[in-house]
Amino acid sequence: MIVKATGISDVGLKREGNEDAFSTDDSLGLYIVADGMGGHLAGEVASQVSVEMINKTFRKWIDDEATADEIYGKPDNTLSLLGNYLLGSIRLANRVVFEMALEQKQHHGMGTTVAIVLVTPTLIISANVGDSRIYLTRDGEMEALSKDHSLVAEQVELGMMTEEEAELSPMKHILTRNLGSGEDVVPDIFEIEPANDDRFILCSDGLTDLVSDDEIFEMVLGEDNPEDLCRKLVDTVLDRGAHDNTTIITIFISDMEKRRDGPIKIVGMLIVDLVTGIQKAIKKIIP
Amino acid sequence: MARLILMFNKQVVKEVPLLKDSITIGRDEENTIHVDNLAVSGYHARIDIAGDDVIVTDLQSTNGTFVNDKKIVSHKLVHGDNIIVGKHVILFVASDTGAIPGQEEQKMDMDKTMMLDTAKQKELLAKQKGVAKAAKAKEKVGVVSFIDNSGLGEIELSKKLTKIGKADSSEIKLSGMFMAPTVATISKRPSGYTIGFAGGMTKLKVNGEIVKENIQLKEFDTVEIASYKFQFFQKEGGAKE
Repeated sequence: MIVKATGISDVGLKREGNEDAFSTDDSLGLYIVADGMGGHLAGEVASQVSVEMINKTFRKWIDDEATADEIYGKPDNTLSLLGNYLLGSIRLANRVVFEMALEQKQHHGMGTTVAIVLVTPTLIISANVGDSRIYLTRDGEMEALSKDHSLVAEQVELGMMTEEEAELSPMKHILTRNLGSGEDVVPDIFEIEPANDDRFILCSDGLTDLVSDDEIFEMVLGEDNPEDLCRKLVDTVLDRGAHDNTTIITIFISDMEKRRDGPIKIVGMLIVDLVTGIQKAIKKIIP
Repeated sequence: MARLILMFNKQVVKEVPLLKDSITIGRDEENTIHVDNLAVSGYHARIDIAGDDVIVTDLQSTNGTFVNDKKIVSHKLVHGDNIIVGKHVILFVASDTGAIPGQEEQKMDMDKTMMLDTAKQKELLAKQKGVAKAAKAKEKVGVVSFIDNSGLGEIELSKKLTKIGKADSSEIKLSGMFMAPTVATISKRPSGYTIGFAGGMTKLKVNGEIVKENIQLKEFDTVEIASYKFQFFQKEGGAKE
């Protein structure tokens, strides 16, 4: 498996500072985007601390070969061990930002979103808190691997609002979950198996505010390396006014064992079909 | 009916309706609104209903009582007022109100992402929490039910990623001469459950059609792998969060 990833963060055309943060660690296969909020650039502190904490903690547990019980907080047994490492490190980052926010007046009320993708040869894990997003394009289709933790998204899910209304709502940036505003946090985590030619995008809302999902999808299919895709997405955002900080990570997966059928495989599968057919027939006769 | 919303660090701690004519706020447990914080006096402030007016009075507290950052002794409350007691903020919500007067002070930069923190959004969130709680109680979990003669019966998809195959580590273990270590995986995604072909000699069929990549699973879809056959459905009472 070959994993190529690129990350980029642009302050945009309207903001004084960049409160987004991101990290790409190819050795760990860990990719993180964080969108900070809070007055007077406290957001920058929140997002950078979170990215750092998650990287550090995750790496430590890998090195220590920690068991699921050794992570921070109760493990989730619907997740794999690595999934639990991510869960624990997000919780820990939340706690740190939360405590920092209480301690210093200039950090009061600071918080951040996080969108994370972990890539391993047999497992891909996505995790998010807030409204920064993760998209997967696979088999000519794009789907979200993150859930927006925003007021309007939750209302849409509960049938209290349509997606169109959500797009136009003045409240669309109001979050229901983030790191830093409470002692505990519940991220959304999903695990899937990797496939050849999987393409991931992690982004802060600076991108999704100005570029529609269809447009993002077209661009994903149109570029054949992550650097060009990343650049194209950012350029589009800048062309359209870039009212917010914009951070994007693109990940392309290639060279995975293909599932395509070679001649020997086809013959093999025919034999298997034959045998399977016979087995089924026998089962029907002799249950 | 008027309400008081106790907040700490812009997060709602408690909501208290103004039912009685007089309520007290302080660190002592006897208070109507008990605020457990060292910056708050035992009996810190009192809120009285006098006819149509609602009045907050400081009870000679050590750190004082503030309304919208102004220190007060006794103050008539208007909708949207922030009563500051120690480090806690109590938002006063008058009955039957629509717009919040004095909202110029609460300039919300709508382009900036922020956490919920005004009365209106809190109301909305409270309403939605009620609906969401009901929805959560009915959260569904995927189940595969084997309808062949394998004897595997019903297996709950308790993991976010379920591996199906010959390997010992598979959540659903299938046997057979040509069975791959992992022939397919079922993953729970934001959009629902998806089954994907992972590889090997045996075919994956969903509702009779061969699936070479991924497909979303719908209620009562029938899946065939080699001589195995199972149905997918969802039942209530999912795994714990």
